[in-house]
Amino acid sequence: MSEHAIPTATSAGMPAAPLARWLGWIGQRSTLVAGLTITAVILFVGFIAPFLYPADPYAIHPAHALEGPSAAFPLGTDELGRDELALLLSGGFATLVVALPAAILAFVVGVAYGLAAGLAPAWLDRLMMRILDAVLALPSLIILIFFASLVTLDNTSLILLLGLISWPGLARLVRNEALAQRGRDFVLAAEQLGAGRMYIARVHLLRVMAPVLVVNGTFMVGDSVFALSSLSFLGLGVQPPQVSWGSLLESALDIIALDPWWLILPPGLLVFGSLLAASLTGQGLLQRWGGHR
Amino acid sequence: MNIVLDIRDLSVSLRRGRAGNVAILDDFNLTVKAGEMMALVGESGSGKTIAGLSIMRLLPKGAKLDGQILLGGRDLATLDEAAMRRVRGRDVGMVFQNPLAALNPSRTVASQIQESWMVHNGGSLRAARARALELLGEVGIPEPAKRLDDYPHQFSGGMRQRVMIAMSLACSPKLLIADEPTTGLDPLIARQIMALIARLRREHDMGVLFVTHDLSVVEEHADAIHVLYAGRSVEWGGAKGFFAHPRHPYSEALLGSVARVGQTRLQNIPGNLPEPESRPPGCRFAPRCGYAKPPCEAAYPPALSGEGTAAACLYPLPAGHRGQDTAMLQGKTKRNFAAQLEVQDLTVRYAGQSGWFGGAAKLPPSLSDVAFTLGRGECLGVVGESGSGKSTLGRAVLQMIPYEGHVLLDGEDFAGKRGAPRRLQRRRIQVVFQDPRESMNPRLSIGDVIAEPLRLKGGIGRAEERRQVAMLLGRVGLNPEMAVRMPGAVSGGQAQRIAIARALAAEPELIVLDEPTSSLDVSTQAMLLNLLKDLAVEAGLSYILISHDFAVVSYMADRIAVLNAWRIVEMNDTEKLIQAPQHSYTAALIGAAPQLHRTTR
Repeated sequence: MSEHAIPTATSAGMPAAPLARWLGWIGQRSTLVAGLTITAVILFVGFIAPFLYPADPYAIHPAHALEGPSAAFPLGTDELGRDELALLLSGGFATLVVALPAAILAFVVGVAYGLAAGLAPAWLDRLMMRILDAVLALPSLIILIFFASLVTLDNTSLILLLGLISWPGLARLVRNEALAQRGRDFVLAAEQLGAGRMYIARVHLLRVMAPVLVVNGTFMVGDSVFALSSLSFLGLGVQPPQVSWGSLLESALDIIALDPWWLILPPGLLVFGSLLAASLTGQGLLQRWGGHR
Repeated sequence: MNIVLDIRDLSVSLRRGRAGNVAILDDFNLTVKAGEMMALVGESGSGKTIAGLSIMRLLPKGAKLDGQILLGGRDLATLDEAAMRRVRGRDVGMVFQNPLAALNPSRTVASQIQESWMVHNGGSLRAARARALELLGEVGIPEPAKRLDDYPHQFSGGMRQRVMIAMSLACSPKLLIADEPTTGLDPLIARQIMALIARLRREHDMGVLFVTHDLSVVEEHADAIHVLYAGRSVEWGGAKGFFAHPRHPYSEALLGSVARVGQTRLQNIPGNLPEPESRPPGCRFAPRCGYAKPPCEAAYPPALSGEGTAAACLYPLPAGHRGQDTAMLQGKTKRNFAAQLEVQDLTVRYAGQSGWFGGAAKLPPSLSDVAFTLGRGECLGVVGESGSGKSTLGRAVLQMIPYEGHVLLDGEDFAGKRGAPRRLQRRRIQVVFQDPRESMNPRLSIGDVIAEPLRLKGGIGRAEERRQVAMLLGRVGLNPEMAVRMPGAVSGGQAQRIAIARALAAEPELIVLDEPTSSLDVSTQAMLLNLLKDLAVEAGLSYILISHDFAVVSYMADRIAVLNAWRIVEMNDTEKLIQAPQHSYTAALIGAAPQLHRTTR
């Protein structure tokens, strides 16, 4: 009797426990898990899917123009008869390859500028903040439109422009945080030990600010995708013949009267998904780190 | 006298982590009579705060409560939430440690006192306002009619606590629970608040449950006392008998670790308080007790009552017993010191509101014309109430803030120095702050924190660094294995030892101790002060000890400077200052500090 009782007890009890614990783990981090999942989907669409679906995005099939989803064209075709799924994947790569480096550039500039201002003598800090106010006062999308109308922008200049326009928000945040942390006892103690500004920034400030930085970094990626898509939607971002999510939306808008939902919904969802992914990931990280400040 | 509160066999367990519920308080019995002040004494982790919150049924979610809490014949332990709401504030008033956090900053004090009256009594606003006025006068707020419509931030710390007390008295409760109401106040103010609560309990025939970690606070006014250790009662009974003759070794040790004016050595209680998960089955104090015998570890000892108090101890201390702490005001041998630090005409002004591009307005000084000389190996105590400029003095000596005047270390003026020579000279003066947790970066390990001075100096490898960190941890009485822990996982006393180890790692000649023990439990404070004393001798260190606690300063310092309103009003050798204070403020400070009652009685 007892020989049987023991194995049944373990086989019934053991597998359930890890599953319950796994579900509990996910439940506590639902926001973060959702954010990371959508992020993975977006990255997959942008960087891996183009290799798995090698159809030529620029091949024209006039006989099949503006058809809905079918076996041959999973997401249908546009008014020229191009494969919408192939366009979407190609456009995804074109969007991310600009938006991600731009976000990284803005992040690095923002953190460096903010830390420098936060650790600078009061007069220099004041000057740097006035410069920052001036940059913030410029309407960034209008600036982008202005430059884009003067010259045709290649990817590099798009990255530079996008990056150099979106750093001030983070810079202000980092500066304020640096000022607040700078007066804390452990920073004063380090200064008493002879620590210089670079050491304080590297060892103390960056570490205590890490949650704030990571969270805002994720937001910046989302914003960058959105800004580039807005620009492309206006015809000023990624230049034809290369498509992007924004320009796909724009061309679909021309024929919106024909109700081509397969041309509007997928790129719209992807732009929306990028924002959502960044926002959820950031929120999730914030929740996890909430108690560690 | 009739009994107001009768707690019978109360046990409380709280949810801690994944482990489920852990017992925090066991078999707790306590009665408070009308007009009586009952002091519930224990250090952090003793369960005293949980006991107080249990009465109000304000325990955190997931808490389990067993036993009876009888208030005027009703059992609060089983009351439903709606009925409980009517008890809170009406039958039981509560005063907390931090009145600024307990008062709403955006509402006038009158409206907050009126609120607690009207919630329970209804009635007109006019009547409530009259009641508020009456209460403010009763708690000793001068010109109460003028202060009714002031906001909490317009009151000083002591006055705010009076407002809190007025609020808790609004409905004439039968029981007042005061949870560390004087902690964080200046000693002179704390004494006034104590006297106020003592007076009110008589006038209103109200029972007071006074929760505190500091025995010296309640020495003067408590009628009865109840000492908790690690969730169990260790000794209880009349206060007079208790202070004259504590019978439990823990009570005796706790009394012995209170710094008193004129004391030469504080009692150390070796070891740490056990975590709630790992409390020993027998007497919980046995592992740290100097009198413990094998039977102590078998089962929790039964209460033995003698004259005065009852103690849960198999071997209670006999009457007339004197612990190792009883020291007389014996002459400290006058030592001679070679001059090390010279402070001349030190004045500090903090910059006021600044304009758009600078041009800060100068405010009145925060420290004015301070001058003294500190000898090598000497400990200078700096006492004064909050706002007297004592921390400013420390920060100026540390070169953390700009100042007028001169600070010379071994004859070398800081004023003329820039760059590396200044940094090196500054490094010779180190600092230990009040809040040990704030003084460590929460994202660095303990090992990293202590290694910081070594890394900044440079020139040693990883292995040597680890060896030195282990050595430093040993010097401050900590286990070298602690190096891998994070600051969040150590106790306050341990954290302060780590801060001292970091200061030592820089091989300083002088350490500025800015209220190093005022956030710690009494017994932890005693051990830390003893450690600092030993280190000074061992390493030839000089100290500037800044504190609002005169007893602590007098215990440590060779010489004391009394700061009042940004100036040194009196400075003298510790003994001479105690025996013949010249300034009335000094005399008041000494009077407010715990005295060596037991030997002088």
